[in-house]
Amino acid sequence: MIGDIEREAPVTTLDHRAPSLKERIEDFFALEGELLDERNFDAWLELLADDVRYWMPVARNIKHDALETEYTRERQDVAWFDEDKHTLLQRVMQLQGGDHWAEEPFSRTTHITTNLRIESVANTEITTRCRFIVYVNRREQEIRLFVGKRTDVLRVDGDGFRIAKRSIFLDQSKLLFKNLTTFF
Amino acid sequence: MKRDSIDPRLVAAGSGLIDRSIFADQEIFEQEMRDVYGKSWLFVGHTSQIPDKGDYFVSQAGRDAVVVTRDADDRINVLLNVCTHRGMPVCRYDKGNAKRFTCPYHGWTFANTGDLTGLPLSSEGYGGKLDRKQWGLIKARVAIFHGSIWATFSDEAPSFDDSLGDMALMLREFMQGPDGEDDGLETIEGILKYEIHSNWKFGAENNAGDLYHDVSHNSVQRVGLALSGLRGRHVWDADKQTFKILNVAYPAGGHAARVSLYDKAGRDYQSQWAMLPEVDEYFRDAHYKRQERLGEQGRILNRGGIVFPNIAYNSAGRWQITMWVPRAPNRTEVWKWYFVPKSAPQAVKDALRHYLLRYGGPTGMVEQDDIENWASAQIGAESEAARRLPMNYTLHMGHAQWAWPEPWLGEGAYVDEGVSEHAQRVFYQRWAEMMGGVVHARELEASL
Repeated sequence: MIGDIEREAPVTTLDHRAPSLKERIEDFFALEGELLDERNFDAWLELLADDVRYWMPVARNIKHDALETEYTRERQDVAWFDEDKHTLLQRVMQLQGGDHWAEEPFSRTTHITTNLRIESVANTEITTRCRFIVYVNRREQEIRLFVGKRTDVLRVDGDGFRIAKRSIFLDQSKLLFKNLTTFF
Repeated sequence: MKRDSIDPRLVAAGSGLIDRSIFADQEIFEQEMRDVYGKSWLFVGHTSQIPDKGDYFVSQAGRDAVVVTRDADDRINVLLNVCTHRGMPVCRYDKGNAKRFTCPYHGWTFANTGDLTGLPLSSEGYGGKLDRKQWGLIKARVAIFHGSIWATFSDEAPSFDDSLGDMALMLREFMQGPDGEDDGLETIEGILKYEIHSNWKFGAENNAGDLYHDVSHNSVQRVGLALSGLRGRHVWDADKQTFKILNVAYPAGGHAARVSLYDKAGRDYQSQWAMLPEVDEYFRDAHYKRQERLGEQGRILNRGGIVFPNIAYNSAGRWQITMWVPRAPNRTEVWKWYFVPKSAPQAVKDALRHYLLRYGGPTGMVEQDDIENWASAQIGAESEAARRLPMNYTLHMGHAQWAWPEPWLGEGAYVDEGVSEHAQRVFYQRWAEMMGGVVHARELEASL
C-alpha cells in the first residue's frame, strides 16, 4: 500500500494475461505521476529507495565535437537538482508547510512519461530510458512546460519497484522559467 | 524620445520614497541601459573558468553579449560578441577553447585577442586596404580583482579601483578563502541561467541589504538547510557570540554589504558544520588562520552585498555571485556562479556544492521564495491604480553614520545598524545620480 492507492499489478488487457515488465514499469511511472499531480508527496517519497540519487544537470550550448560536455558532470559541477532522500524529504516538508510562497497555493501539474525503453536488466536493477513532459500551471497565468529525457534505475521491491536513481536531462540550457518547484 | 535627465521626483531617496515607474517604464529602462549599465564596471566571470590559454566562455555585460577569453599571452580579454561587419555573434558556444572565432555569415575571423585576422576577399574586395586594426572586435576595458573579472565598454568610467572605492575591503574579503587567503575561491563548473519576470532592481536592492524580509524564508528556516545540526538556513546562526548587524553602504559607488561585526577580535570557533565532522574541522582550522591573518578586521562576518549596479555576492559559507541581466523593464535573466575555497579538501567542496545548490537559484529552497517576491513586486510596480503611491523605503531612516563603528570600514562607509532600508536608499541614490539626478550623497538623510 502506498497511501490510499493499491500498488498491485494492474489488469492491462482484456484477456488478463500477466503484464509484461515494460507494462508494469509504464504503470509504475503513471502512478508516480499521478501521486505528484495529486500533491501526494508523502506517497511519492515512498516510491524512492532510501539511497536514491536524484540528479538534473545543466545543459550548455557546446560545439558538435564536444557533446560529451553538453551536460554538467555528476558529483562535480553545478546541477539544477542533486538530491538524496533526506534533501527530497526537506523539499517536501517545505512544500507542505503552507508558507513556501513559490508553491503556495500549489501549482497544477500534469506529468507525462512516454517512449519507455528498458535499457538493461541486471540482478534486481532495471535501467530504463523515457521522455517526459511536465506541464505546470501556477496561479492564473503562469505556464511552464518542461520537456526532456530521463534515465531511471529501478530496484525490484516485492511486486513493485523503487527508484534507486533518476537522471533528468531537461531540454533547456538557460532555464526559461523562474523556478523549478516541481519534481520530475 | 530620450530623456537627458531623470525627473528628480522619481527617486527621493532622502525621503525614502521611490516612484513605482522606475521598475516598469520602458523609457527609464532604456536610459538606465545607457547611463547606468553603459557607464559602470560589470562583473563578467572568474579567472578559474578559463585556466588554460585559449579557454573562453560567453557572458553578459548588461544587455551586451561578450566573450571572455584567455589569449596566448595569458591575458584576459572581454570582447563584444558582435561581428564588426554585419553584427552576428561570432561565438555560438557557451564555453570552449579556441584561438579564433569565425563569423558564420561572411567569414570574418577574429583572434581570441579580438584582432581581425581573417578577411575573405581581402585584396579582391577591399583592395588590401581595410584597416584591420579598426575592425577588430570591440574590446572592453578589463579589470581583474582577486580572480573576479570586470569589464566596461565606457571610456569615461573611472578606473575599476576608483569605482569600487572603499567597497574593496568587502569584495576582497568575499574573494578570500575562509582562511583569509586572498583570491582563495574557485568556481564550481557551470553557470546557472534562469529568467524571472521582474525588474532587475528588485533583486539588486534585496541583496544590498534587506534584513527585513526574513519572514519570506520561514519555510526553509523551519526545515533547516544549514549543516550545523540546528534549524535555519545560515551556518553562522550556530555562532552565539555577540555581534552588531551592520548595513555598510558605500554611497560614492552605490555598493553595500551586510555584515555581522563581532564584539571581540580573536573569537573562538563555534561549530557550524556539526553534521559533517570533516568539514567542520576544515572550517575550524580556517577560522583560526583567518583570525591570525586579518587580526582586528577578522571581526567581520561578511554575509553578502552588492557591487553596483547588478552584482550580488553571498559569502559566509554560501559563496556565490548573482548577476542580473536586464532584458526589459519586467524581464531579467539571472546568472549565478557558485564558488568553493580552492585549497579545501574534496569532501569540503562536495559538502559546499550540495549546500549551495539547495540554497540558491531556481531550485534553491531560499531563493525560490525570493524570486517569487521579486516577480510579485513587479505586479505592484505595474499597477495603474497603485502608481499614485510611491514605494516606501523609510525603514529605520536617519540613523546612519560615516565610518562607524570602526574607522577601518573606510571613510566612504556610511553605516546603519540593525534592520534598516539604509542600503537600499543608498542604492537608489546612486542610481538617481547616474540617471542625471542631483549629486548629494553626503547630504543623504542628513537633509531631513
